[in-house]
Amino acid sequence: MNTNELQQLKAGDRTQFAELVRQHHHALIALVTPIVGTSEAEEVVQNAWLKAYRAIAGFEARAQIRTWLGRIAINEAKMQLRKRKRETLFADLGETSQNTDPLASRFKQDGHWQHPPASWHSDSPDSLLMSEDLADCLDRLLTHMSDNQRTLLEMRDSGGLPFEEICNELSISASNARVLLHRARAQLFKLVDHYQETGEC
Amino acid sequence: MLKCRELVHEADRLLDDDLNWRGRLAVRFHLLICHHCRRYVRQLRLLLAAIPAMHKMATEREVAEVMSHLPADQPHTGETGNGRSEEP
Repeated sequence: MNTNELQQLKAGDRTQFAELVRQHHHALIALVTPIVGTSEAEEVVQNAWLKAYRAIAGFEARAQIRTWLGRIAINEAKMQLRKRKRETLFADLGETSQNTDPLASRFKQDGHWQHPPASWHSDSPDSLLMSEDLADCLDRLLTHMSDNQRTLLEMRDSGGLPFEEICNELSISASNARVLLHRARAQLFKLVDHYQETGEC
Repeated sequence: MLKCRELVHEADRLLDDDLNWRGRLAVRFHLLICHHCRRYVRQLRLLLAAIPAMHKMATEREVAEVMSHLPADQPHTGETGNGRSEEP
């Protein structure tokens, strides 16, 4: 979004706001789904859009707009949990103590690469995930990812929230958050690496 | 010295700018001598840059549904409902 479009958006241009919805709606749904569940995610995000619409004039672009929208959506998700009398955003599943590093099989016992990363053909972020086949595989991977790993991935890498803020929001230690985020990223890396190497996933 | 298996964990912290000087030095030294890990870090950086765009665009129907619930006039309060103005 360029400066002119941002000014129009802040001035209340509904066409620009609709474009904002088009670009970020699915990301916000993905952000709150692991927190409130699929059945309530739409309602939470709809409320978030209403709050964002009312507040957009105050957006000053100190943060990325995705991050700004993400914070609003997370606040709405927290309000929804309070209504449901749930205390935490995050279920402690004990998964950080399990040895399930997705890249573990890529290393020899001595810690060096056994199966090093392939050389990827794409060299720009825009083209990397553009293939429809890969996008479908990515959807499946994200759907089956644990809620905790997905939450970390959506908040940090899609939403752009600072790591410390995420730990505070989720009331988890930085070391647990690091393990979960690494596993989520490693699953994505493994998928894309295999696709780049073989053309399938 | 870091092993490749450890490097892939440190790479997350490197790209999040979450390493102290000693950690950065250890990672940089390893990357100097290991082309597999250099490739891993380069491609992980590319992947992280691509993740914000991994979600599909909303359909016309979804956009219309959201827009239909918004008020016709924008109040311009700058409030997000939690007492803070600019940052929600």
